[in-house]
Amino acid sequence: MEKEFQHHLSRMPENSAIKQQKLPAHRLHFSNQAIFTIFFATGAFCFCIGIILLLSAWKVQEIEINYTNICEDCAKMRENALNFDKQCTCSIPFNLQKTMKGDVYMYYKLYGFYQNLYRYVLSRSHNQLMGKDVRDVKDCAPFKVTSNKIPIAPCGAIANSMFNDTIILSYIRSTSEHIQVPMLKTGLTWWTDKYVKFQNPSFRNLSDHFVGTEKPPYWQEPIYELDTSDPGNNGFLNDDFIVWMRTAAFPTFKKLYRRLYRVKYFSDGLPAGNYTFDISYNFPVTKFQGEKAVILSTLTWNGGSSIFLGLAYTVTGVFLWMSSFALMAIQGKMRKKKLSHRR
Amino acid sequence: MFCSKKKLLEVERIVKANDREYNEKFQYADNRIHTSKYNILTFLPINLFEQFQRVANAYFLFLLILQLIPEISSLTWFTTIVPLVLVITMTAVKDATDDYFRHKSDNQVNNRQSEVIIDSKLQNEKWMNVKVGDIVKLENNQFVAADLLLLSSSEPHGLCYIETAELDGETNLKVRHALSVTSELGADISRLARFDGIVVCEAPNNKLDKFMGVLSWKDSKHSLDNQKIILRGCILRNTSWCFGMVIFAGPDTKLMQNSGKTKFKRTSIDRLMNTLVLWIFGFLVCLGIILAIGNSIWENQVGGQFRTFLFWSEGEKSSVFSGFLTFWSYIIILNTVVPISLYVSVEVIRLGHSYFINWDRKMYYSGKATPAEARTTTLNEELGQIEYIFSDKTGTLTQNIMTFKKCSINGKIYGEVHDDVERKKEITKKKESVDFSVRSQAKGTFQLFDHSLMESIKLGDPQVHEFLRLLALCHTVMSEENNAGQLIYQVQSPDEGALVTAARNFGFIFKSRTPETITIEELGTLVTYQLLAFLDFNNIRKRMSVIVRNPAGQIKLYSKGADTILFEKLHPSNEGLLSLTSDHLSEFAGEGLRTLAIAYRELDDKYFQEWHKMLEDANAAMDKRDERISGLYEEIESDLMLLGATAIEDKLQEGVIETVTSLSLANIKIWILTGDKQETAINIGYACNMLTDDMNDVFVISGNTAVEVREELRKAKENLFGQNRSFSNGHVVSENKQQLELDSVVEETITGDYALVINGHSLAHALESDVKKDLLELACLCKTVVCCRVTPLQKAQVVELVKKHRNAVTLAIGDGANDVSMIKSAHIGVGISGQEGLQAVLASDYSFAQFRYLQRLLLVHGRWSYFRMCKFLCYFFYKNFAFTLVHFWFGFFCGFSAQTVYDQWFITLFNIVYTSLPVLAMGIFDQDVSDQNSMDCPQLYEPGQLNLLFNKRKFFICVAHGIYTSLVLFFIPFGAFYNMVGEDGQHVADYQSFAVTMATSLVIVVSVQIALDTSYWTVINHVFIWGSIATYFSILFAMHSNGIYEVFPNQFPFVGNAWHSLNQKCIWLIILLTTVASVIPVVTFRFLKMHLYPSLSDQIRWWQKAQKKAKPTSRRRPQTRRSSSRRSGYSFAHQEGYGELITSGKNMRVKNPPPTSGLEKTLYNSTSWIENLCKKTTDTVNSFSQDKAVKL
Repeated sequence: MEKEFQHHLSRMPENSAIKQQKLPAHRLHFSNQAIFTIFFATGAFCFCIGIILLLSAWKVQEIEINYTNICEDCAKMRENALNFDKQCTCSIPFNLQKTMKGDVYMYYKLYGFYQNLYRYVLSRSHNQLMGKDVRDVKDCAPFKVTSNKIPIAPCGAIANSMFNDTIILSYIRSTSEHIQVPMLKTGLTWWTDKYVKFQNPSFRNLSDHFVGTEKPPYWQEPIYELDTSDPGNNGFLNDDFIVWMRTAAFPTFKKLYRRLYRVKYFSDGLPAGNYTFDISYNFPVTKFQGEKAVILSTLTWNGGSSIFLGLAYTVTGVFLWMSSFALMAIQGKMRKKKLSHRR
Repeated sequence: MFCSKKKLLEVERIVKANDREYNEKFQYADNRIHTSKYNILTFLPINLFEQFQRVANAYFLFLLILQLIPEISSLTWFTTIVPLVLVITMTAVKDATDDYFRHKSDNQVNNRQSEVIIDSKLQNEKWMNVKVGDIVKLENNQFVAADLLLLSSSEPHGLCYIETAELDGETNLKVRHALSVTSELGADISRLARFDGIVVCEAPNNKLDKFMGVLSWKDSKHSLDNQKIILRGCILRNTSWCFGMVIFAGPDTKLMQNSGKTKFKRTSIDRLMNTLVLWIFGFLVCLGIILAIGNSIWENQVGGQFRTFLFWSEGEKSSVFSGFLTFWSYIIILNTVVPISLYVSVEVIRLGHSYFINWDRKMYYSGKATPAEARTTTLNEELGQIEYIFSDKTGTLTQNIMTFKKCSINGKIYGEVHDDVERKKEITKKKESVDFSVRSQAKGTFQLFDHSLMESIKLGDPQVHEFLRLLALCHTVMSEENNAGQLIYQVQSPDEGALVTAARNFGFIFKSRTPETITIEELGTLVTYQLLAFLDFNNIRKRMSVIVRNPAGQIKLYSKGADTILFEKLHPSNEGLLSLTSDHLSEFAGEGLRTLAIAYRELDDKYFQEWHKMLEDANAAMDKRDERISGLYEEIESDLMLLGATAIEDKLQEGVIETVTSLSLANIKIWILTGDKQETAINIGYACNMLTDDMNDVFVISGNTAVEVREELRKAKENLFGQNRSFSNGHVVSENKQQLELDSVVEETITGDYALVINGHSLAHALESDVKKDLLELACLCKTVVCCRVTPLQKAQVVELVKKHRNAVTLAIGDGANDVSMIKSAHIGVGISGQEGLQAVLASDYSFAQFRYLQRLLLVHGRWSYFRMCKFLCYFFYKNFAFTLVHFWFGFFCGFSAQTVYDQWFITLFNIVYTSLPVLAMGIFDQDVSDQNSMDCPQLYEPGQLNLLFNKRKFFICVAHGIYTSLVLFFIPFGAFYNMVGEDGQHVADYQSFAVTMATSLVIVVSVQIALDTSYWTVINHVFIWGSIATYFSILFAMHSNGIYEVFPNQFPFVGNAWHSLNQKCIWLIILLTTVASVIPVVTFRFLKMHLYPSLSDQIRWWQKAQKKAKPTSRRRPQTRRSSSRRSGYSFAHQEGYGELITSGKNMRVKNPPPTSGLEKTLYNSTSWIENLCKKTTDTVNSFSQDKAVKL
């Protein structure tokens, strides 16, 4: 009998909260007040953020000069691939009406350049760029090797298409005094890019380590001559190169080119006055109906904040307030209806 | 193929006994059975083939192949193959184990031993080697190996007893008897071996109750019918041996012919999901085409010039070809709209729900120590959508225990508890029951709570004595004594068993009978009555009588029968008593008891002798024999003296009434399908409140021909519509095709409750194609439908009919083998477990011990499952549309180059790791209202029936939600990134940062959404939701770390990205804005919906909140009304013909048979032998007309 009793017990499902679906739980159910509070609070928050962002975006000083059409001659010349070794410079004067205070950054901006094409993004060799094996060009199709079967370094479509205009900003204090604005060409990249992702095969005798490789077909000088003056900025470690290799998300993008070196006249930023951009025009864009521009810009607390985000926040905030009022009205109406029903 | 060809050929079967060579010519199937699907060699190909027939698997295989083509591949191959292989292996292992067990059971059956006469010797042979034409010897309690023609048996007249539980679920013994020519063969092996009769008979079929054939032997022909056939699956009982000749073997046997193929059941959600997946696939193709066209145009306009400058300089591919490739690439990228994890998750959730069913203590029956069991784990959500329940009666609604409850003797009610307070309550055990211990033969469990009857007996009240004497004399029960000296009754109707047992307990013990005498023990003294005549029961008479001469020489006629019939036969002097008894009968009936009236008549010798002579003449007469006999019966059964009435309870299972009431409140229609008689079925219908006297009309269809049935249906319909004049116009217009659409209209216009009772033989005609629709229409308009005397196959047909034409979800519940076909064909089959037979449980999808658990299974588990599954699907589709469609938007900004927005790893892990667990937790644990609420408020069940929670409309809403989210997800970061610069002046608008921003926003948005969707936050939900977000960030940082990059630079090129991007304030501002913008509209819409169109569960939740402090209200008990109309039914479960069997003495045993193992089993627990006795004695499935032919 007792045995049988135990047998019964063993088949009896266990009385645990989880098995009986009785786990202590919180039933998520917002009251009307809670929902209105959330709506109003979120709305207020979004609206404030939006206003702050807009204000700070307006504080940013930015000059963008699109030089595609200004340098029409050079553009035409570059359309013909045969002229690749010819130099073409173009000078663009402009007037800065207000001093750009603080750090000033110089960007180049490309329009209609698709750096996000699937095959384009893939066409690079991480092994090569890490300096592990400069001859590893496995993933670099279609720019793996030259016609002589010599591996390309740096290989791949991204590297090959590197932006190679040189932009020099000059400050014209007077008609006779042209001062080249001092610019820094380093510190443009992420730490991980500079110290992990990109490594030269060696610090010394860089050119030796690239023996047996060829420069990319569209390049004018080999990788180890990108910046001969600074070994820390040469080879794969060249900041311009690294910046270019971090492919942009959209076909219109700007990339950091130089930072203002705040010395002498420029310790407070760029003083108002006349300037010229001297551009050695190497990068053809008209061929694919693209455009290029150079940008000078200051920053705010959250970087070069764009108006879009501020606007979006403001609109969201306003929308939230409006909808919460609408909801309150509807809810009130429903309550009245219910009350009248009860009567 | 081969089988069906042969079937076509076989129109009749010719079998020659003991001649294997002769029979081999016909290539009859041998006795080996196969229920398994595979063997070792065929397993892999067949199983894989079957698996890839599933749309989803085939689709993923196709994707995998696409991914292996380098020109197209836009995602690495491991994103698809890992989950696919996992899923397929899991399914294959499950199939293999299932089939292994099938092999095992096949082998076990095929290797059973039987004795066969080979070469004039009795030899042991395995079942599978038994051939058609062989002569097989069976012993007591053995399973019958094949369909046999009974040749001879140990019993006189070639009788043998079989139990057909496995075939039709009836556990009472049936009699088969051999032809007299063959029964002479006896056990003489040499003669049997020389037997060379040729049987010509019908081809194999599935009709259990029919057999037609002719045996030609020794130049004479003998016709064969079902009475001479023992079918495979039967068990030989109470017969020490018999010989039979194999007619049908293996797959040709009626048992195998009847076992319908187990269909793979799918839920309607499954089917909907398949359709949706196809739609989504179509949608994908559309997106692919748009993007491919975009790509062609782009290549033409922009890419062409770009190519020469950037790359592709060597290739001269046309833009059209590029577009073609892009199409496939995008198909691969966008396939995550329907990830494999959807199918896996659905299975996991269902499994979880199944475990909850198994674990539910409230569905555990301690009486039999049986927990509920979900035998199929793939149907749970369908439990929340049931519209029709088809229920067996015996053993399901009723306990199949007949108890003698009350009686009225000479105008006095006995058995009533005269305690006003407790009057209507269940009699508790505290109350002292009548002490029967003085009776040596009394049965232990018998309880009658009235001492006054005992006192009356002791006082020697002659009426009471006569009453009990009648009960002990007038019946067809057979008695026997087992080894232990205990008296055992063989009853063929449990009602009689109850009555005879009652008499026994009150001291009038039926001891034994011979064809001429009945011996009973009257309060300790043995009295032998001479049995002069036996006026047998039939359906028209609805009564039976015996005429006996007591030792004192008095001749008495004892009669019991339906009150309505018997009351007409009473002597006029009975008037006073009649009205009193009549009141009592009404009272009994009001309590749902089955009643019988009891009367006697004293006959004088001379009159009886005359009558007896006339009877003998009538018996000998050639023409109008039956009429003359019944005339004589009428004559002598007149001027009866009323003794009283009995009331027997056909005990309902516990809680049946509450369950039925509650389920009807949930708008579920319950149909009773039973093999029992019409009266019994109707009675039970009343007893469990499915039929009530408040009903406007109860239509009874019992026609015997197609014309009659049609007419009856038409009349019923007219009647129904006549009372609802408003509809009459619509009815005339109704065309066949519009019929079904009209039905819904009709249902609303019909007011009042109707019920339909239909007989099995009428059903056979009604199920014919042209009447089918009328029947269905009528049946669906009725509140209750009762089908009685239906065969197992008809049960299935009825289910199929409703399933097919009503497009409704059906559930069949039953306990016996006769319910198997119905259980198999319904969407969901439920078996009552804890009974002796296992067939129903084995065929079922769910099993539990008590009918009342059905309420919890449907209203709680089913509702939750459906609710959870729908919520899960809505969320899952939303999530994946939001996840995937950003690729589409991105396509417009990346030259349609099939660039993904996210990191490949993110795509691989998103569905498996980052977002799987929270939604699984919701799918498994979520509760909108508590189980108590859903039990108390059956109306909550309706959304499931109407398919409201997940349908095509809901799907489109989810998809729209997903699309909206994907738009927000893409365009807010897009706008922000357009001109964005990092805090240190560096540009952050690079592809990788964008990918990280998008991925992070997506994970957060989707997690916030699931947090809002989860309405029941348990610890598990907390852990999973917060854990998923935490996991996302930890995996993100791990994969973007320096260490992993240095080891696998090609696999993890996002080094440092997480760190740099997520350090930027503006990235977080983007993520925040994205979250707010994608969630707020949803909250708004839900708020509006809740206020403008609140659902019932919303209201309950409000109410709950308001009442939180107050104690939960007392459970609403559905009131248990009993109707008061009187339904007397002697006819219950009684079969004609036994009287003759008794008087002829055919079934009298010369000696008591040795106790058989089967009997031992039943005796094992001596307290419950009455239950076994009264087991299931439903009638044979034969129709009335056939009953006569059955006469022995």
